[in-house]
Amino acid sequence: MGTAVAGAGLGSLVWDADLAEAAAPLATKDQDLHLLRRATYGPSKASLAELKRMGRNAWLERQLRPDSIDDRACDELIASRFPRLGWSMDKAWAELDFGWDLMFDLGVSTVARAAWSERQLFETMVDFWSNHLNVSNPSDNGWYCRHDYDRTVIRRHAMGKFSDMLLASAEHPAMMLYLNNAESSKEDPNENYGRELLELHSVGVDAGYGEDGMWSSTLIMTGFGIDWDTGHFRYWPDAHHTGPVKVLGFRARNGSARKGRDLGRAYVRYLARHPATARRIARKLCLRFVSDAPPPGLVNDLAATYRRNDTAIVPVLRQLFGSSAFKDAVGAKIRRPFQDLTATLRILGMGPDASGTEGLQGLYWMIEGFGDLPLAWSQPDGYPDYADAWRSAGGTLNRWNMHMSLAAHWWPSSLKLPPLENMLPRPLPKTHGPLIDALSRRLLFRTMSEAHRDAVLGFLGVGAHTPLSADSEAVTWRLSSVVALILDSPYHQVR
Amino acid sequence: MTTIDLTPTPDQLPATIEPRKPCGCPDYERGMSRRSFLKRAGLSGLVAGIASQTMFTRLAFASAPYSGDVLIVLSLRGGFDGLNAIVPAADPDYATWRPNVGIPSGILLQLDGMFGMHPAMAPLKGLYDAGQLAVVQAVGMAEPNRSHFQAMEEMERAAPGTSLRTGWLDRVLGLREEGTAFQGVQMGSSMAASAFRGSSSELAMWSVDSFGLDAAWDADELARWSGALRELHQGAPPAIGQPARSALAALTTTAQLQQVGYAPENGAAYPDSDLGRAMRDVARLIKSDVGLQVAAVDYGDWDMHAGMGGVGGGWLHDHLTELSGALAAFATDLGPRLSDVTLVTLTEFGRRVEENGSGGTDHGHGQAVLLLGGGVRGAQVHGQGPGLSPGALVDGDLAATTEYRTILAEILEKRCGAGSVGSIFPGIGSQRLGVVNAR
Repeated sequence: MGTAVAGAGLGSLVWDADLAEAAAPLATKDQDLHLLRRATYGPSKASLAELKRMGRNAWLERQLRPDSIDDRACDELIASRFPRLGWSMDKAWAELDFGWDLMFDLGVSTVARAAWSERQLFETMVDFWSNHLNVSNPSDNGWYCRHDYDRTVIRRHAMGKFSDMLLASAEHPAMMLYLNNAESSKEDPNENYGRELLELHSVGVDAGYGEDGMWSSTLIMTGFGIDWDTGHFRYWPDAHHTGPVKVLGFRARNGSARKGRDLGRAYVRYLARHPATARRIARKLCLRFVSDAPPPGLVNDLAATYRRNDTAIVPVLRQLFGSSAFKDAVGAKIRRPFQDLTATLRILGMGPDASGTEGLQGLYWMIEGFGDLPLAWSQPDGYPDYADAWRSAGGTLNRWNMHMSLAAHWWPSSLKLPPLENMLPRPLPKTHGPLIDALSRRLLFRTMSEAHRDAVLGFLGVGAHTPLSADSEAVTWRLSSVVALILDSPYHQVR
Repeated sequence: MTTIDLTPTPDQLPATIEPRKPCGCPDYERGMSRRSFLKRAGLSGLVAGIASQTMFTRLAFASAPYSGDVLIVLSLRGGFDGLNAIVPAADPDYATWRPNVGIPSGILLQLDGMFGMHPAMAPLKGLYDAGQLAVVQAVGMAEPNRSHFQAMEEMERAAPGTSLRTGWLDRVLGLREEGTAFQGVQMGSSMAASAFRGSSSELAMWSVDSFGLDAAWDADELARWSGALRELHQGAPPAIGQPARSALAALTTTAQLQQVGYAPENGAAYPDSDLGRAMRDVARLIKSDVGLQVAAVDYGDWDMHAGMGGVGGGWLHDHLTELSGALAAFATDLGPRLSDVTLVTLTEFGRRVEENGSGGTDHGHGQAVLLLGGGVRGAQVHGQGPGLSPGALVDGDLAATTEYRTILAEILEKRCGAGSVGSIFPGIGSQRLGVVNAR
């Protein structure tokens, strides 16, 4: 059944890409909405108005330069609610005593930024790279350094060059600890990092490096570790293996332990620039932004652009969003649980707690329970980004309960929720049919099919022509249920 | 792939959905959770509009293609100290390594010439003697790993030396015809274990009684919501429609189970704990014939680096008491149905042979596995004992003489109708200990 997509360069997974392709009729062809669904955590009333005012090109260019976007409100929210995120690694090392507080701060703040940052494409790319170079948060060794990894590896380079990001990750204690390179030495090499550097971070498992290449990769990176007294990255010449190494086209005599760090840096940059890495990142970007079946032509084009621009990511994104393959892929992706949560928050116009973090933490635990907590995937390969992996009856029930919990303001109740009555058309239509149409346009940016509208009307026990008045259930105590039910519809699942 | 539609037919739903004021239920507007409502309302009449005996019949029919044992994986997370549970009392080195936290041989429940059970496991002794419980000693992964996180991941991936990212239970289900929404269940958690990771569908639930639509406070409301959700997903693409239909089927079933309620049979008394409730709900699903094939349950907090406690009380004692009580109640409750069930315990690693200075034990390697079920070759401790002499230890750990996957493979082959297990456990050898009888 369907099109099986073998994950060339994406590991050994095979999934059914048609599962998502078939969702296309649920989305309108509107390209403005299409761009917002893909490049942000969900269209809001305000973001759609902004995009329409600016035009797609200008909107995209602005999002590609996140520093040009005034995001003070979100920055101040994070700075005031999570002051510890500003801590240096040294301060965290001195203060936390292996406590996980800072990792929770990072997780909660990541949820908040996704929902409320104006730099939406940037936050989306932060998520993309956090998965590509995954260091699970929270996890045992990240207690003092994972927030710094987020800041100095992922966020610093998310719109920069991948070669810089990959190198920064190779010289960060969070990665060295997470993949055990901190314990790797010439006497006792640990292949975890050397292998994943090839398989996950760069060229991919089918690039042809073989077990010999994997072993050379491990030996090249021996010595990259941490200073156990300070927790900082440190290169240990005494731990570095010397002797000839060969990985794909990278060869070195490797005669000097003193020069081992330079060798490792050159190797990491070589991997970042490798054509297989270019194709792999192009494919993953297509998987995130275009389709569960990445179009081969677009993948090739993006890979070429990546190499032409020395691994710079902005030209690749510009080309992706401007491509005809992207334009044709309306409705070809399905929201993951976290994307559903953020889209729901944004379409309802919800805001963070007036003070404190109770509501934000509520969102964190909610999405943790759905198995899609940002940064938290427990394996090195990052969350799966295709619909087949997220098919789940329990997950679907979670979404339905989440829509109701947010729309009815049950929990987290300390988040701000504008009155749902603001969504009602004024003056009220005379019958129920136009009311459901209006709410659908407000929440889904389209009307539902007649049969689906009838489902909502049936829920209310009315017909399309049943008269509507100011005290009808649909606009009073059942309004939150109607809003939730509309968000439960498959239209809201389409990204 | 065969899809079996479990949605109730229209005749199972109320003919008309009457609008209903929330007059009798003011809490609705204040945001009362469904769970608290159910507690107060006592579940009465919850699914009067939907429930019908035909549903059970349909579920039973739908699950017919799978006829093997229900496999239950109980994960003892944190590192279960097998050496202090199934104690190698006759090994002269045992008392030397563990002068303080070791269990004195005099109080053990004798299993054979070598081993005795911790006295807190007394509820299991009868099952052992009756041949329904067995132990496998010195079990482990091919590559020892003392990191909780990595060891759990690796154990549940169960495919060392490959780049497979799926979990072994997912691969087990993936080889079978797709069953009901209840084919694979993680009980006692809203998140499925990584053993289920992959594209086969499973259902994670805190409990049967809490699995529901929060907005539906009674049977009429559930019918109202279910009907609307079903219609809303008509024509939806499979990625959206299939799990929605499964969720609705599961909701219908859980609502029915909630209405019927559950009383353990044969005098079974489950511990009043998360584990007790989870095992009770697994028994409930088995006896309800909802199509359960694989269930996973977690029982954590075994990481006893310090303050393990004494033989008459304390951390280890209390944990073993709860574990044994829950398993014994489960077996009692199932009665004859135990013959269609195999339960296996796993832990990410055993613990260091030598005790530490804090009244506990550190991360180690070789572990003890418990097997419970009608097909288990019980009343014996399987596996080869590597011994506890200094020369026999590996980095201070009990050596593993049996790869854990060979136990699982044997259960799948003999009890669960698996043909070749090579795609579930890549690279697995042909060694089998003979821990279960063929069905």
